[in-house]
Amino acid sequence: MKKILAGLAIIFWAGTCALAADRWIHVKVEDGGANGETVRINVPLALAEKVLPVIHTDKLRDGKVKVDSTDIHDLDLRAIVEALRTTPDNEFITVESTHENVRVAKAGGNLLIKVRESKGKAEAKTTAETKTVAETVDVMVPFPVVDALLSAGKDELDVLAAVRALSAVGDTVLVAVDDQHSKVRIWVDSRNTME
Amino acid sequence: MPTGPATVAGGAGAMVLGTLLVAGAFVYDMGAIRVSVQGKQPGGENVHLIVPAAVVPLALPFVPDKDLQEAAEQVRPWLPAIEAATEELARCPDGPLVQVTSPHEKVSIVKRGDSLVIDVDDANEKVHLSVPVKLVSVIAGQIARVPPPKGERAAEPTPSEASAL
Repeated sequence: MKKILAGLAIIFWAGTCALAADRWIHVKVEDGGANGETVRINVPLALAEKVLPVIHTDKLRDGKVKVDSTDIHDLDLRAIVEALRTTPDNEFITVESTHENVRVAKAGGNLLIKVRESKGKAEAKTTAETKTVAETVDVMVPFPVVDALLSAGKDELDVLAAVRALSAVGDTVLVAVDDQHSKVRIWVDSRNTME
Repeated sequence: MPTGPATVAGGAGAMVLGTLLVAGAFVYDMGAIRVSVQGKQPGGENVHLIVPAAVVPLALPFVPDKDLQEAAEQVRPWLPAIEAATEELARCPDGPLVQVTSPHEKVSIVKRGDSLVIDVDDANEKVHLSVPVKLVSVIAGQIARVPPPKGERAAEPTPSEASAL
């Protein structure tokens, strides 16, 4: 009887490990515009891990993406992440402009980025409209994933390391973008479908 | 030991049967490609094909060189990625990989059993294609090995080919 129970325990443990290993990244884009297109993509993280190292293009090589410093406005991403690491949870670093409000913080071991964009004066028809939020972007990335992403050299993002780190984190909504016409969600979980 | 005509015929028969069995097992193992095109317009064509996947690599040499060389040029840089993706796809569970829905068109790519099933449904036609996952890398590999036109420098081997050498 003990042998049967031990056998069952091993099978259950192995099954649980296998399930934990099957992590999927999901992308859902809903375009509410004239075309009304919906795109759903489900990719096993294991597939991304295998494919990324063998892709060699101008910008992507060995799973690392070259980032032009002008693309990120010469921001020192590592310094920002280090500064955030030492700040208490939920204390936001806020950057405000005329029609964009960017807030960065950490909460529960995650890096949070919240962007609220309102209509510019030229685009808006009334003053009230300029205050209406036209687009919201919420990004939540676990710190181990951020660390992995920034583990490559200067001007490089290690996407492969980030994907590997992502395999180890729980179910997470990574990106949520909402604007008047479209909705984008990117998340990670253990299911191979969106239902 | 008797070596009469009956024994020789029996041996030959066994060899033929063995060869057929091996060939049959190979064809069965490779699976089949299913293509179905249903035209929606009046007079539109309907095509339904089931082709043993094992036949496709044998048919490639009959494709015109120019077309193959063009395809090879495009496939070669992506061959390692195609091989890695198909290897991993073969392992992953059945389910939808890509779904695109719009008022005019529906596209889906689904992993079902050992096959990749592609469905496209638009205003003009309904297309269904089922391809064994392992065949994708076999064909891509075969296309990538097509030599460039004479006079052009041969392409460098892909990392997977280099490691195999």
